[in-house]
Amino acid sequence: MSTSVDALVTTVKSQSRVRRVVTNQQFVLFVVLIALILFFASRNSLFFRVGEFSNLFTDFSGLVLIALAETYVIVAGGIDLAVGSTAAVSGVVAAGWIQPLVNHGVNQAVILLVGTLACAVVGALAGGLSALLITAFDLVPFVATLVTYSVGAGLALVISHGAPVGYNPGAIYWSASGIGMITWLVAIVLVVAVVLGVVLHLTVYGRYNFAIGSNEFAARAAGIAVRRHLISVYVLAGVLAGLTGMFFYIRSGSGAATTGVTNSANLVAIAAVVIGGASLTGGVGRWAGTMLGAAVLTVVSDGLIFINVPPTWIQVVVGALIAVAALLQSFRRRSRRVP
Amino acid sequence: MTIASERTPVLELRNITLHYGSVEALHDVSIKSYAGEVIGLVGDNGAGKSSLIKVISGVNTADSGEVIVDGVRRHWRSPHDSMAAGIETLYQDSGLAPDLSIGSNIFLGREKRRSGLLGRLGFVDQRAMEKEALEQLARVGITIPATQRTVSELSGGQRQAVAIGRAIAWAKHVIVLDEPTNHLGARQSAEVLNVIKSAREQGLSVIFISHSLPHVLEVTDRIIVLRLGRVVRDAPTSEFTVESLLGTITGLNESTGS
Amino acid sequence: MKSRSWRLTKGVAIASTLMASSLTFAVGAPMASAAPHRYTIGFVVGAEADPFFQSMYVGAHAEALKLHVNLVWQGDPVDYSPATQIPVVQQVLALKPNALIIAPTDTKALNPYIAAAVRSHIKVFNVDSGSSFQRNITSWVTGNNTQGGKAAADALATAMHYATDCTAAKKCDVAIGVSSLTTSTDAARVAAFKAEVKAKYPYIEMLNDVVSQSQPSVAQSAFAQDISAHNLAGIFAVDGTDAEGATAAVKAAGSAGASIKIVGYDGYANNIASMVAGGLGSLSAIISQQPTLEGTLIIKYAVAALQGKKVPHLQTLPNITLLPSTPASVLAKYQYVAS
Repeated sequence: MSTSVDALVTTVKSQSRVRRVVTNQQFVLFVVLIALILFFASRNSLFFRVGEFSNLFTDFSGLVLIALAETYVIVAGGIDLAVGSTAAVSGVVAAGWIQPLVNHGVNQAVILLVGTLACAVVGALAGGLSALLITAFDLVPFVATLVTYSVGAGLALVISHGAPVGYNPGAIYWSASGIGMITWLVAIVLVVAVVLGVVLHLTVYGRYNFAIGSNEFAARAAGIAVRRHLISVYVLAGVLAGLTGMFFYIRSGSGAATTGVTNSANLVAIAAVVIGGASLTGGVGRWAGTMLGAAVLTVVSDGLIFINVPPTWIQVVVGALIAVAALLQSFRRRSRRVP
Repeated sequence: MTIASERTPVLELRNITLHYGSVEALHDVSIKSYAGEVIGLVGDNGAGKSSLIKVISGVNTADSGEVIVDGVRRHWRSPHDSMAAGIETLYQDSGLAPDLSIGSNIFLGREKRRSGLLGRLGFVDQRAMEKEALEQLARVGITIPATQRTVSELSGGQRQAVAIGRAIAWAKHVIVLDEPTNHLGARQSAEVLNVIKSAREQGLSVIFISHSLPHVLEVTDRIIVLRLGRVVRDAPTSEFTVESLLGTITGLNESTGS
Repeated sequence: MKSRSWRLTKGVAIASTLMASSLTFAVGAPMASAAPHRYTIGFVVGAEADPFFQSMYVGAHAEALKLHVNLVWQGDPVDYSPATQIPVVQQVLALKPNALIIAPTDTKALNPYIAAAVRSHIKVFNVDSGSSFQRNITSWVTGNNTQGGKAAADALATAMHYATDCTAAKKCDVAIGVSSLTTSTDAARVAAFKAEVKAKYPYIEMLNDVVSQSQPSVAQSAFAQDISAHNLAGIFAVDGTDAEGATAAVKAAGSAGASIKIVGYDGYANNIASMVAGGLGSLSAIISQQPTLEGTLIIKYAVAALQGKKVPHLQTLPNITLLPSTPASVLAKYQYVAS
């Protein structure tokens, strides 16, 4: 265990630059993303069209907010299984609340703003429930958020009676409007995503997030209000899940209790984060990694439909993708370990 | 070095008692520490050393007793309060966030913000922190070439150096060091002891916890011996030898009537 | 029935589904009447909150009142799978009913429990879906999915103007959306649809199935891919979820979707509203089942069989084709109820 004084004052041996770049998860993901787009375009040239990229951006937007929510939570050393059902319950609650406005022909912008607010509030309440269970009742995040997941999924069903809630075709038309391949809806989501990246990597709040996930005791000893921060992270994740619920309401013009639940959106979001190179033990994760992870998942699942691959195979391909990402990560960690 | 009992202690603990459930970790512990003085806090495993420093740093709150800093009675709601009062603590093995850079660790909990609006929005000034971290470490005699590196990439000795450097750089009154020479080789330990001596010369009050009795005898002015949560001896270092100190720690001295 | 696309953490998925189900189980199931009756009949379905089964409940409940039957109506509110149905069946059998009516969520998985019921002299009936071992089944009332699938193919071909618009040189692409590939009713409809297309409409090109996992937004994303990649002329939406997704995808596609015709299944309120409203993305025809009549008939048959009368072993009810020109009174008759 004893090292010389020189070790105290000299830096560890640098890895070769080439190896650093090649094992950099973001770099690899970027290459994979480009390769996938080229592959699908080579199979069907229609892939390289504004309309298709608009589809890709839209589907990416439905995933990216909960993936970033999951990035915050995972970097802070937790996990949030509730994001999918939070999206569902927010969507059906908001759909129910704003349907009278739709029926009375209120301005669509007002309707959607009210709905967004409602989704954010419901999402915050769901996140608050997780936070309460974790910080006040000392449940581990896995169990606490599983409770929230179940409550959310159940409530969504009770509220909606299993049927779609509300009908607002105006929202669908608005969801398709925009400039070129970027719809207004996508633009808003992307702005939120960028803000989340800036906050995570450039602000004190983001710094505390990494510190708590890396070593909770050290964070507490350094005077960071760990409990308050964790509450805020789960509430943030809930709000982002709520906004995702509103996103799907706007896209389909109604709220469904199955949104984000039957396709296990929580696990898709976690997969995007893991593919992006974050560590499930906390303290490690990059905004760019999650963005690329979500982009790769979106391009793969959409592209396989685009080139008319049988749906059962899509699951196999996505599973393989996660396995490769996990292997890459473990390889990278091993190559970095210092005696 | 003066042991001036007529002076106001920088840090005083009065009649501290602490329980973990039904286990009594500290019983009626009172200690005083003065500026420019190094106190050695020794005792067997379970004697209450770690509990005592957690009370000092605000990680734990005592069930009864008082914490007095510079003559003023204080109550720590969190470690943040004790840090604000000028008390820095180096915890054994777990004081750093391994996934953060060295610079970020030095400034953990006290991040430098950008100037102007960005700073008010909470933006950190990473470049300034990395630069100042280097300077702060250099000031206390520790040179680490690249502060952008994460702590997980450092060796055990380097991590310890960063942790000590951080504590000394920020301490205004008191610095508590829990086993700073643990896991270190002889030459690295000597470096750490020199850092402690230089802290004393800067007028800090140092509380030094260690199992290594020769280190304690070499660097401290006064030694407080804890056994089973009680202070059993508080005397100038000159009154101890390794053998008598060991005897006091284990309690053998008393049974032989010393 | 719920085929999850993500098996990243299989345990999580299973645990959360079970929890969600157990949590929602208590709230979703209407209580049976407490008054004493001559026969007690257990009635176990899956996805109980679905308007299809709610409509079936209306028929079964009314007939049970008329015949003084103590009806024990149970089923997981959202999940359509043997994993959640088996415990429900066991609970209902523990009440020692005179008869068990079951819509098995799997053709084989429920057989041992049905056999156990028969051994303890409980008569067992199938409704909607059927069991593979029919010797234990006294009577089975179901919609004619084969006829329905064929009717859908004919309705879609008519809506697409097959005779004039589809030729050997310019084939018409058709997408098919299902909730799950493992549901027997969906599979039967799709098989019949495909067989009918192959036999009668050689100039229709069928794409790979879209699997929506009961989620409108998943169906919508997949249909958006098909619209983008192919010159899509028609969509067969096998259930309400897929109809909703298809409608939203076509609306969002704007001019690219202007000529796409949709034929949907099931008389959900919003399906019928969409068809009546007309315009971009509206349904051109609805193939509706008769769940209320199924519920009425199976109770009638069960009581008759308990009284020792002879009942038909298999009773199929034709699916009804509803068109925009269908009178409102008829549409109202076939519209499913919400709970």
